Amino acid sequence: MVQRTTEIVVGFFMIAGLAALLFLALQVSGLSPKSAAATYTVYANFNDVGGLTPRGKVSMAGVTVGSIESISLDKNTFQAKVTMAIRSDVDTIPADSAAVIRTSGLLGEQYIDISIGGDMESLGEGDTFYSTQSAMNLERLISNFASGR
Amino acid sequence: MMDYVAGFGRRSLEVVGSLGRATQFLFGVLVGVPKPATGFPLLIKQLYSVGVLSLAIVVVSGLFIGMVLALQGYTILSDYGSEAAIGQMIALTLVRELGPVVTALLFAGRAGSALTAEIGLMKATEQLSSMEMMGVDPLRRVIAPRLWAGFIAMPILAMIFSVVGIWGGMLVGVDWLGVFEGSFWGNMQSSVDFVDDVLNGVIKSVVFGFVCAWIAVYQGYDCVPTSAGISSATTKTVVYSSLAVLGLDFVLTAVMFGDF
Amino acid sequence: MESSAYISLKDVVFSRSGRRIFDGITLDIPKGKITAIMGPSGTGKTTLLRVIGGQLKPDSGQVIVAGQEVPKLKRKALYRLREKMGMLFQSGALFTDISVFENVAFPLRVHTSLPEDMIRDIVLMKLEAVGLRGARDLMPSELSGGMTRRVALARSIALDPELIMYDEPFAGQDPIAMGVLVKLIRDLNSSMGLTSVLVSHDVPESLSICHYACIIADGKVIGTGTPDELRNHPSELVQQFLSGQPDGPVPFHYPASNPVDDFDIKGASI
Repeated sequence: MVQRTTEIVVGFFMIAGLAALLFLALQVSGLSPKSAAATYTVYANFNDVGGLTPRGKVSMAGVTVGSIESISLDKNTFQAKVTMAIRSDVDTIPADSAAVIRTSGLLGEQYIDISIGGDMESLGEGDTFYSTQSAMNLERLISNFASGR
Repeated sequence: MMDYVAGFGRRSLEVVGSLGRATQFLFGVLVGVPKPATGFPLLIKQLYSVGVLSLAIVVVSGLFIGMVLALQGYTILSDYGSEAAIGQMIALTLVRELGPVVTALLFAGRAGSALTAEIGLMKATEQLSSMEMMGVDPLRRVIAPRLWAGFIAMPILAMIFSVVGIWGGMLVGVDWLGVFEGSFWGNMQSSVDFVDDVLNGVIKSVVFGFVCAWIAVYQGYDCVPTSAGISSATTKTVVYSSLAVLGLDFVLTAVMFGDF
Repeated sequence: MESSAYISLKDVVFSRSGRRIFDGITLDIPKGKITAIMGPSGTGKTTLLRVIGGQLKPDSGQVIVAGQEVPKLKRKALYRLREKMGMLFQSGALFTDISVFENVAFPLRVHTSLPEDMIRDIVLMKLEAVGLRGARDLMPSELSGGMTRRVALARSIALDPELIMYDEPFAGQDPIAMGVLVKLIRDLNSSMGLTSVLVSHDVPESLSICHYACIIADGKVIGTGTPDELRNHPSELVQQFLSGQPDGPVPFHYPASNPVDDFDIKGASI
């Protein structure tokens, strides 16, 4: 019966749609099933966060270990306060490590890279990074270069 | 001069009246959801004619658009030495904008005009009237399945469009222009967010599907039942749907991707 | 009329786009008989059928069908009433995407939950009644005009209605097809005990089969009665209509100015 064939074809159509959705989810946007892992919160204060945005990457030695939760302005110190969520299994970050803002590629987006220190103690929930390095400001760099500094 | 103003006023009132009728019509269709036993086969039949039969044009267009994006994007990005970003450029353009919008325009042209013509012809040959006289509500039996089919098929078509486009872009970018495959996908994955980009694109296509299906079905139902009337209704479907899609796209993009 | 009226219209007024189509129509349609509604073209005969069927609401007046006031019915009740009505449209109005069999089966499938083999039997019986049982698998596009109407007739009797309305059934038919339709209308009426309402401007055919007729002109009923009563009706308008006179109360010339103005003939007489 024609109805039967139609049903099967429409079924394939819906499956194709679902497959497209899965493809878009996994291959195109890199959604990984283990993104609901446990995390702990740490803070860092910067003079200039540049183009850092929430959900940006936090990495250590090039490996993604967490993401940026939020960025806010501290009205007393006039610094930017960045809240980060680090994966719970990465719990041996030395307490004197530095949070550095780097750019991936020339036009790429900015992310936080953790530069390892040497302390025996590790950062825990609610700790703040002791040293930070702000985003590289292209204009300042050029003016420094031009004025021969 | 006064005649001109009066004519303009009258035509504006006609437009407003038409919108009112269209809304009443929509309400009648949505409220009269068909019984699952009879309605489901009708829905399947419509999904076939509206969705499956539009696949050909969607896939071919998606492929070509993806390939063109790769070509054009490569020339521009290579000026900045950023060819590796081509993956994310193609993916974001398709998933956020071109996928939903172009698919909606193609849908309006192919499926929308077919729906309008079909319903208009049923009206002109008094099939809708005779259905009413037999105690069958044509809104439930004829119109509702078509509206729901458009509503469901559009997001699926838009996603298939994006996927085919990305694949076409990959063919051109990686296989032809020599962009490194790893960075093609890697950059794409790090810059395309599932919720913000993919899902927003899907939401857009659902909205577009609804609007295009509504306009197509209403124009058919409301047309003057002559051959000239049907032809004018079909044209109106394509024009109104296209304008509505482009206008809504602006609004949705501003809301979803702007920082307001 | 001995039998009670199945349909009763009292002072029905209906206008559309500024024109008064019905200006106080009062008529009764008796049960179980064939009633013809006739009149010059454009008097709104088809509109009358739509008002009876509830597709259009009158501006004022009562429309009573089978004891129910049609304009006041809610949607569900109206649809249920329509199950008792059959309507034959001028063009047949068959569903072009399904076969003849499926067309006739449509009302059965929608309104009943009869098993498939019962539906098959009923459909074939109805098609047999109109003489088209052998055409059951054809598509509407393959039928001639007369055959289309017969299939539409089979469809409208599928649910064994109490009332059938025919909208210009004789229009444009060749003599044989006309004869077939006349026979069918008469036979169906007597065998099924239907109330039949026939809208037509074909005077000879209509008068030959109806039991009772009404003539409508200028939005009013100008004459009612049995065919014999109408043939002896005093009204000039009725006589002009029945005998087909080109000139009379309905004038030949559309109102125009004096011929002298248009034809510029000085001093001559036309």
